[in-house]
Amino acid sequence: MIEQRPGLSITTIALLVVIFLQIPVIIVVLASFSETSYLTIPPQGWTLKWFEAVFTSSNYLAAIKNSLILAVGATVISLVLGVAASYALFRKMLPGSEALTSLLMSPLIIPSVVIGVALLQYFTLVGLRGGFLVLLIAHVVITVPYIVRSALASLSGIDLSVEEAARCLGANGFTTFRLMTLPLIKPGLVAGALFSFVTSMENVPVTIFLAGPRETTLPILIFTSVEMGVDPSVAAVSTILIIATVAVLFVAERWTGFHRFV
Amino acid sequence: MSNLSLDHVVKRYGDLTVVKDVSLGIKEGEFVSLLGPSGCGKTTILRMVAGLIEPSGGAIRIASTDVTRLPPNKRNIGLVFQSYALFPHMTVFENVAFGLRRKGESGTTLDGRVNEALAMVRLPGYGERYPRQLSGGQQQRVAMARAIAPRPSVLLFDEPLSNLDAKLRDEMQIELKRLQRELGITTLFVTHDQGEALSLSDRVCVMNDGIIQQFAAPEDVYRRPATAFVASFIGKPNRLKATVRGGRLTLGEGLDLRTDSALGADGSATDVFIRQEAINLTPTGADDANRIPGTIALRSFSGPQVQYVIRIAGGHELVVEAASSGTASHLEHGQPVTLEVRPQDVLVLGESVRS
Amino acid sequence: MSQMRTGLLLFSPLLLVLVGAFVIPLILLAPTSFQEYQPGAGIAAGSFTLENYIRIVADDYYREVVVRTLGLGVAVTLACLLLGYPVAYLIVRGNPRWRLALTLLVIFPLMLNLVVRSFGWIVLLTNRGVVNNLLIDLGVIETPLKLMFNLTGVMIGLTHIYLPFMVLMLVAALQNVPRDVESAAATLGSSRLHVFRAVTLPLTAPGIIAGSILVFVLTISALVTPRMLGGPTYQVMATLIYDEYMQLLDWPSGSALSFSLALVTILIIWMSSRMTKRWAGLA
Repeated sequence: MIEQRPGLSITTIALLVVIFLQIPVIIVVLASFSETSYLTIPPQGWTLKWFEAVFTSSNYLAAIKNSLILAVGATVISLVLGVAASYALFRKMLPGSEALTSLLMSPLIIPSVVIGVALLQYFTLVGLRGGFLVLLIAHVVITVPYIVRSALASLSGIDLSVEEAARCLGANGFTTFRLMTLPLIKPGLVAGALFSFVTSMENVPVTIFLAGPRETTLPILIFTSVEMGVDPSVAAVSTILIIATVAVLFVAERWTGFHRFV
Repeated sequence: MSNLSLDHVVKRYGDLTVVKDVSLGIKEGEFVSLLGPSGCGKTTILRMVAGLIEPSGGAIRIASTDVTRLPPNKRNIGLVFQSYALFPHMTVFENVAFGLRRKGESGTTLDGRVNEALAMVRLPGYGERYPRQLSGGQQQRVAMARAIAPRPSVLLFDEPLSNLDAKLRDEMQIELKRLQRELGITTLFVTHDQGEALSLSDRVCVMNDGIIQQFAAPEDVYRRPATAFVASFIGKPNRLKATVRGGRLTLGEGLDLRTDSALGADGSATDVFIRQEAINLTPTGADDANRIPGTIALRSFSGPQVQYVIRIAGGHELVVEAASSGTASHLEHGQPVTLEVRPQDVLVLGESVRS
Repeated sequence: MSQMRTGLLLFSPLLLVLVGAFVIPLILLAPTSFQEYQPGAGIAAGSFTLENYIRIVADDYYREVVVRTLGLGVAVTLACLLLGYPVAYLIVRGNPRWRLALTLLVIFPLMLNLVVRSFGWIVLLTNRGVVNNLLIDLGVIETPLKLMFNLTGVMIGLTHIYLPFMVLMLVAALQNVPRDVESAAATLGSSRLHVFRAVTLPLTAPGIIAGSILVFVLTISALVTPRMLGGPTYQVMATLIYDEYMQLLDWPSGSALSFSLALVTILIIWMSSRMTKRWAGLA
């Protein structure tokens, strides 16, 4: 057996690329703690004043709240609707399940900005423009493919006879789903829900066309404020997001071995 | 009164009919095997009894109640799967308790009945383990405990032993038989292994191509096969082409066989079956049996048995088994021998069979 | 029959949402794209014109944006492929103890907010950003380099953002290459480079294609990074659509551009899935 391990040059290049992937993260964290409003290397002086600015700004707090409510709401709705629909597809309860699957996945194929303008025009036409509900529906559309994808993948991993065994032992359809199917696809669903949450949390191209001033989300706030120039409080709120992402990724990895589902 | 009965049951998938008008009655406490090659419809029948497949026609009754349209959870059956289908996210205790909980059992009654079931399959104290921590044989026992714990009115087995190695399979066969006797539950056992079917069952139902070929006690199925298919499927038969001539069977060149089977019209061609184990192989001849002269063409030793291929007149070859401790254990290539077959072992089954 | 009823019950809620808030809105985009837009007056009612589509190929400015968008797609895809392959190779073939850490380091930026990642590059690349400050302090340059609002900035940003997708696709492809095949080639006298060229590369071709399609489609659809790092002047198709809807209020032109963009992505994905199916048939 000849061990073909990557050589030194490949390893070096690969590690440099991995570092390249982390650079913006490191820079943002440094900038958020840096005294000067423009980050220098090495940073001159440390401060928490940018974080203070975030936590005392009603704009930021409202945007964070909006984003969290929207992401949690969209993910929960997508989970319920997406898992139900996936189950029907997987069990071939409906004719043309292949075409129906493509329909559920198609929001991934159409560019987000196109979905954004289509919804803008549509909701203007039917007189529903603005408001939280419109935003919530739009986020369900863009997050549901992630739930469907992971639900279908997890369902196909279940031994069908396990469900049959439960049925033979006296469980009705719903009990079987609750006690067998759901626990068995849970790890996959956790991963799917995480993707859904992240997708909603970072969405700009759809949100920006639909959100009124009162529904401004965090990414929209950052996106628009950057046009005014670099503000270190953006770095501070970004650092908060980075820490939250690391924490969620850590918990998800511990809980379900998340990296297997990516 | 039959405890489980199938009445003109049919299953079609589009143009394909996999079960063709099957009627079957199984008595209270009886152990019946469905035996046949893969694709003969035996598993389809089992799944229809379980309620996992809906029949295209006919009726299924359990304890005289028509269950044809009932979902599996309303039938009070226990099914042991080929893959065991243990619930991977539940402990052994929870697996066995599952059916009992669905019947509303809880507390000490539940504990008692789960432990009783685990004791019956000789796995006491395994309740806290997870299925993945058990060996194949142990998983098989848990699957059985899970099926019997809710005291079903019918037990169904779908090739439950086929995933075990040979030694374990023999062990589990005995366990299974003992368990079924103790519980006295009506049992339908699907298998393609004739040894399993013959040794376990009160009656064997041999199937081919969606049709029942014979439904009888193991000895009858073995000794008096009803069709050419049964004769060729059970045991290790030699199949010969013969002609009926003057009320006797002729294999050719003056080699006649006497038989107890009814013969067809004079001059008709027919298939003759003689089981390997029905041939008495002696260096010299004796008594009133058919005597066929031949020579040893091949000898192969397989432990308790020696198998010979013997060339006889008319270009036929017969495979014959002899005990390796017997007098016929050391015959050599080319040695002339006499084969003895009693007339009742010469089976003539009208139609010619596709192999 | 009852199966069908259960199926409908389970499927229809999501179907209603998708038809009502995705399919119909997209279809309704079509009529708008054939309408005439009069500056100041808005959409001319009852008008029909192909002008909005003709402009995309005929008008110099539009053509420049379209060509730039597709060119960026190709360039970013190639960059991701070149940078991503060594990483994927190290993850799959390197020391197994590093595997989880490396994989998580690749996934982490992917899970991180897109706006935050783009913002990080702004901090690095602006005129008074980290890179320019560092170069000036070191005396390499005297006046700041223009690293943003141009191809450089957008390239760097987009490559950084879509690189993880490429790496994950290549990891999946490399995991399907049996090591024994590579070893066999090596025992037959191939050099390490030749093993890679003759065995590994062709066997990972489906993964390379899939990853490239994904990155290309994502790049040409991107709005956030091109706007944050390209500014209002360095336009791509997505940012132009955004401006036509939000700034110029020229919805007919914007919807025609939207349709063209969607059509390109659908066409590419359709062709690639046909290609993969044909390959699967060959194998």
